[in-house]
Amino acid sequence: MRGYILRRCWHSAVTLAGVSILVFVILRVVPGDPAKMLLPEGAPQSAVDELNRHLGLTEPLWIQYGLFLGSVARGDFGQSFQYRAPALRVVVERVPATVQLTLAAMVLTVLAGASLGVLAAVRQGTGYDYAGTVLAVLGQSLPNFWLGIMLILLFGVTLRWLPTSGFQSWRHLILPAVTLAAFPTALVARLTRSSLLEILGQDYIRTGRAKGLGEPRVVLRHAMKNALLPLLTVVGLQIGTLLGGAVITESIFAWPGMGKLVVDAIFFRDFPVVQTVLILSATIFVAINLVVDLLYTVVDPRIRYE
Amino acid sequence: MPTPRLDRRRFLVGSTALAITARPRGIFAQARRGEIIAGLSERMLTLDPANHYSISSTSVLRHVYDPLLDVTNDDRFVPALAESWRAINNTTWRFTLRKGVRFHDGTPFNAESVVFTLKRVRDNTKLIKSFVYQDIDDVRKEDDSTVTVTTKRPFGSLPAHLTMLGMLPPSAVGNEDAFFAKPVGTGPFRFAGWTHGDHIDLTAHAQYWKPGVPKVDKLTFRFIPELSTRAAALRAGEIHVIDRVWPDMVQTLKGTPGIKVLDTPAIEAQRWHFQLGRETWKDPRVRKAVSLAIDRNTIIKDLLLGYARPVICPVPPGLLGHANFGTKPYDPEKARQLLKQSGHQNLALDFVLMKDLYPKQLEIAQAVAAMLGEVGIKVNIRNLEIATAREQRTAGNYDLFFSGWAQMPHDPDWYFGQWFTKAGAEKLTRFADPRVEALIAEGRVPDAKVRQQKYEELEKILWDDEPEIWPYYTVAIYAISDRLRGFEARRDYYVLLHEAGIA
Repeated sequence: MRGYILRRCWHSAVTLAGVSILVFVILRVVPGDPAKMLLPEGAPQSAVDELNRHLGLTEPLWIQYGLFLGSVARGDFGQSFQYRAPALRVVVERVPATVQLTLAAMVLTVLAGASLGVLAAVRQGTGYDYAGTVLAVLGQSLPNFWLGIMLILLFGVTLRWLPTSGFQSWRHLILPAVTLAAFPTALVARLTRSSLLEILGQDYIRTGRAKGLGEPRVVLRHAMKNALLPLLTVVGLQIGTLLGGAVITESIFAWPGMGKLVVDAIFFRDFPVVQTVLILSATIFVAINLVVDLLYTVVDPRIRYE
Repeated sequence: MPTPRLDRRRFLVGSTALAITARPRGIFAQARRGEIIAGLSERMLTLDPANHYSISSTSVLRHVYDPLLDVTNDDRFVPALAESWRAINNTTWRFTLRKGVRFHDGTPFNAESVVFTLKRVRDNTKLIKSFVYQDIDDVRKEDDSTVTVTTKRPFGSLPAHLTMLGMLPPSAVGNEDAFFAKPVGTGPFRFAGWTHGDHIDLTAHAQYWKPGVPKVDKLTFRFIPELSTRAAALRAGEIHVIDRVWPDMVQTLKGTPGIKVLDTPAIEAQRWHFQLGRETWKDPRVRKAVSLAIDRNTIIKDLLLGYARPVICPVPPGLLGHANFGTKPYDPEKARQLLKQSGHQNLALDFVLMKDLYPKQLEIAQAVAAMLGEVGIKVNIRNLEIATAREQRTAGNYDLFFSGWAQMPHDPDWYFGQWFTKAGAEKLTRFADPRVEALIAEGRVPDAKVRQQKYEELEKILWDDEPEIWPYYTVAIYAISDRLRGFEARRDYYVLLHEAGIA
């Protein structure tokens, strides 16, 4: 097991190095001049050149990359071009908002998705099942921007139950979390339903029922344990995706998360911020995958890594 | 306890006393109270007034820092921290400073602040505004309240530029990071806190030099880039004013009780420029043909729902340099004739747009494509991400470029100097005309009369030559809560709330 973990860590390091090179090169290959984006449209070319020199963009690419790696090793991701502040600080400031939104959305996803899925599976073919399917289809097909705006108009403008946007209190979190959770909830519900249905048809479930176990115990204790495996994979991947950026939800709710930050940074060619966000997200993604793989062994004792 | 009897006499005495004591209360009622929350379209990036040209940041920071001069909505330059200013000669300006003004931390504002602020912006070329001040030769303190600025060449637009530069205390020197983490200015509000990407909090500066200002205790700017969300926050009563409303949102907002929509002609003209390095567009007949084929009224009326004005001069009304040359005609027949004469038939035109930058720009470009199609010009619309579009322009890969120009800082020198000088336009439009260039240089003197004359002369050349299409002046639209008092819809898109109150 220890060998496996070490091997996986090594693979992860190689992956991250690859990500850093890719990000670095792609950013500099795509058209667009950072100084031009920072300066107003009517700035003279001499000012553009001068600013690019200050930003260190006039050095050859390999020197820029070498300097970048050296700084990253010291924990310095460079200065954000736009914010004129350390890129890491600019990104880390957005972490609380991103984590809050992701966690809230994931909790909603797991609770609502699993409940809907279980209900649909144990009441297969009934109204609950059909209602669950309709909700799942809606959740997966309604675009986030539409759903978000509708929720704002209904709960923010018309009913005035919840704030329309912003990052201030737990009340501000509800609408974006619901919007963000809609898609993964539907995914989890469908997955739970199909995986549970498959397991409910297996022999050991029949045995459990035959020896007189109550239905809740059969479903929640025995069947769910096995149905959890595919669910874990999906939830793990979704966390990674959401942490990397819930751009549309963040834009609609003016939520100061990392997704919007990175999109703006790409737009304005703020290389240090894009690099920081992508390298951090890649690290988190890799780490979560590793943790999820290891969690398999906890959930299913038959899985062993050598 | 027996209740005192209220007879007529007591009633009169009592009510008179109440009336007398109520008077001062009435006065106090007008004093500072409440909070205004504004929703701005653009996120704030920095607290350094010399390090951005963002309109939203300018709006916010104008409340924390004072510039030497202010500009009114009718384009007059008025005193702020400078009580007066005058040009001693073509390259020397003298500013007399307001006395008794203090920064929020109690240090006095004086000539040293001005010398420090101006030298900093000139010398620190990392600062975004630095390039504008490169013509400054020296900044000298004459006495505590007099500063002389000498320039390398005439710099008639210096006072205008200074409206966008907040004055800093010299104590900021050497520890700028710490200073801008918690900045102090002389403005009507103190900096209180900034949740990055979300909002900035300001509190009233009770000792502000202008009597009766500010009128509220607290001012919050929230950053809500998405217009539908900004509008929803206003409609839900969470905020009191929003900027950058698009024409198609106006009806919804007007239909909401408690909301007022304000609009004013902006200091911005749309200007779609030709790639003049290409042989086709060097021919003025072809450029004129394009201009004649565009039905500007249809764009203004049907696509912008009336929220735009026909252009009568490259510089919008009210500003120095404005003249009335009449509107450009719509005459597709004449356009066809001109194209025929020029020998350029079956023309193709690459129309480059900077994605999502201007209201309704794609629809407008599509309409223009149809209009030009009528005269036999095939338009290929290229809606590119901003950085890519600009890169394409630098490389010269376009025929017509969709763009606008807000005449910041209420002075046309920047516009002319950038777009109509050989050096400025080299990697943009490739415009070059020695006559125009000479007039621009002559128009840099401080004398407004001379400037007006030179600009009119050069604009006449441009107007006839049409190196650009000027389709319309933009209208700035704001929406406010009817509780907001004293708000002025600014032509420069600023959201200024010094003198605003809340009911």
